[in-house]
Amino acid sequence: MKKIYFAALLCAAIVPGPAHAFNVFACEPEWGALTQEIAGDKVNVDVATTALQDVHQIEAKPSLIAKMRRADLVVCSGAELEIGWLPQLIKQSGNPHVASGPGYFMAADYITTLEKPTALDRAAGDVHPEGNPHFQMDPNRMLAIANSLAGRLAELDAGNAATYKARLADFTTRWQAAIKKWEAKAAPLKGKKIIVHHMSWVYLENWLGLERIGALEPKPGIPPTSAHLSGLIDIAKSQNAFAILRAAYQDPKPGDWLSERTGVPAITLPFTVGGDDKSKDLFGLFDSTIDKLLGAIK
Amino acid sequence: MTLEGLDISILGPACVAGLLVLSTHVPLGQQVLSRGIIFIDLAIAQVAALGVILAQYFGVDEQGYGVQIAAAVAALFGAGLLTMTDKRWPQYQEPLIGTMFVLAATGSLLLLANNPHGGEHLKDLLVGQILWVSLGQLVPAALFSAVILAVLWFRRGTLTGLWFYGLFALAITASVQLVGVYLVFASLIVPALATAGMRGPQRLISAYAIGAVGYASGLALSAMLDLPSGAMIVWTLAGCGILAQFVPAVRHSHPAQHGASAHASAAATR
Repeated sequence: MKKIYFAALLCAAIVPGPAHAFNVFACEPEWGALTQEIAGDKVNVDVATTALQDVHQIEAKPSLIAKMRRADLVVCSGAELEIGWLPQLIKQSGNPHVASGPGYFMAADYITTLEKPTALDRAAGDVHPEGNPHFQMDPNRMLAIANSLAGRLAELDAGNAATYKARLADFTTRWQAAIKKWEAKAAPLKGKKIIVHHMSWVYLENWLGLERIGALEPKPGIPPTSAHLSGLIDIAKSQNAFAILRAAYQDPKPGDWLSERTGVPAITLPFTVGGDDKSKDLFGLFDSTIDKLLGAIK
Repeated sequence: MTLEGLDISILGPACVAGLLVLSTHVPLGQQVLSRGIIFIDLAIAQVAALGVILAQYFGVDEQGYGVQIAAAVAALFGAGLLTMTDKRWPQYQEPLIGTMFVLAATGSLLLLANNPHGGEHLKDLLVGQILWVSLGQLVPAALFSAVILAVLWFRRGTLTGLWFYGLFALAITASVQLVGVYLVFASLIVPALATAGMRGPQRLISAYAIGAVGYASGLALSAMLDLPSGAMIVWTLAGCGILAQFVPAVRHSHPAQHGASAHASAAATR
């Protein structure tokens, strides 16, 4: 680690411009984008997954270990979302700075999660004891996480603390203005009934006042039963469902199947930064999501 | 093209794991090939996974050795079943193995419909990832491989009935968790197939060489091209198997037009 700092210092001395001394390993694109908003060119961000990947499971590549090895800070969702691979990756990298303590930032620790079971009942299905980890689709929670992340960056990289503070203030202003704009724009969506692919949209539903009336695959990885599907068709028709929502990485077949039988449109939402052409950053992610939802009304 | 993953401390443990798997799978693979039951590893792995899910169904602790014991018991049960069918209906052994595979795979799905948490372990069992191998896993794996090799040597390489199926079941259950089912299949079949016409120690040495070069080059390529390691190694193993055909000693052993008779004579020598 000292070597890297030294090399970085050397570079900074010789080459004018940004010194990439501080390395951030982000598990998902949304945390890479948020780090970029707050830190700009003060840090080098490696993102482990793309929007077209199921982050519950990833394929092991040597470069992932190399990136983890040079990381000063790991930024992930937490709440057991990455439990299938992150602990092994950190262990394999042998990087003590990110194994625990300040170098290990789990966004879920700084917000309240939804769907947190009061009693752990395994019979209830795929229960996350830490609550639902797909909270990136709530802009208010995103802002709370931005605050905590900026604090953590300032703590670890004190030399740039002023920059992080200033950039956070700028981001907060722009983000709060954007939230107002999005909420105004999305007002017609309130009370609309949706069917989801998986339970990935709880925070979006909560924020925009969407009402979930069913899920195609309530247990990930287990095909739904025929009774469940016929029940879903009845619900979609009788309750006048507005749309079927799925993330960019999810298989379109189940949603298309239901759409064909009910006439309810299936919409593919970006789910995270990079999920479609417009979602180049966090602002684009919410712009695109709301535009696509509104598009289904017409 | 990137060189950042090309680091012996990253690729080293994975390479050792691969060589350990090869050490037992190359001789076992020759037997699998000559018996013509190449999908037996997939079937045994699925039965082991089914055993783990059943154990959880009956409330066995999902951490630690409980899972391993459940997997081994189920795999041995599957091995016993296959020994029995091999004795009674040897001509149908391959289709019976195929049927066992789909029954175990879909049986897991049926059980998991009411126990979704078993799914995590099902995945762990079938999709071991070679890069995640830790030193703590390598030591027991090395001991285990040594035991299997000792039994193979003690039995002079000729395993019959329950010896073959039992040993095979235990070896597969261990290796699938280490490197995943694709690599297990490739490690068993590709070196054995590439040297199908050769005999004795020469064949074993050639097969080991093909396997070792396949693993090492696959790991290096996956680091340089930044691709998933397990899948890359399957391809380099196959590539090494094909390249080996340009080595005169390997090629002359099974010329194309006499392929059938060479294979038959190889089978007859076991």
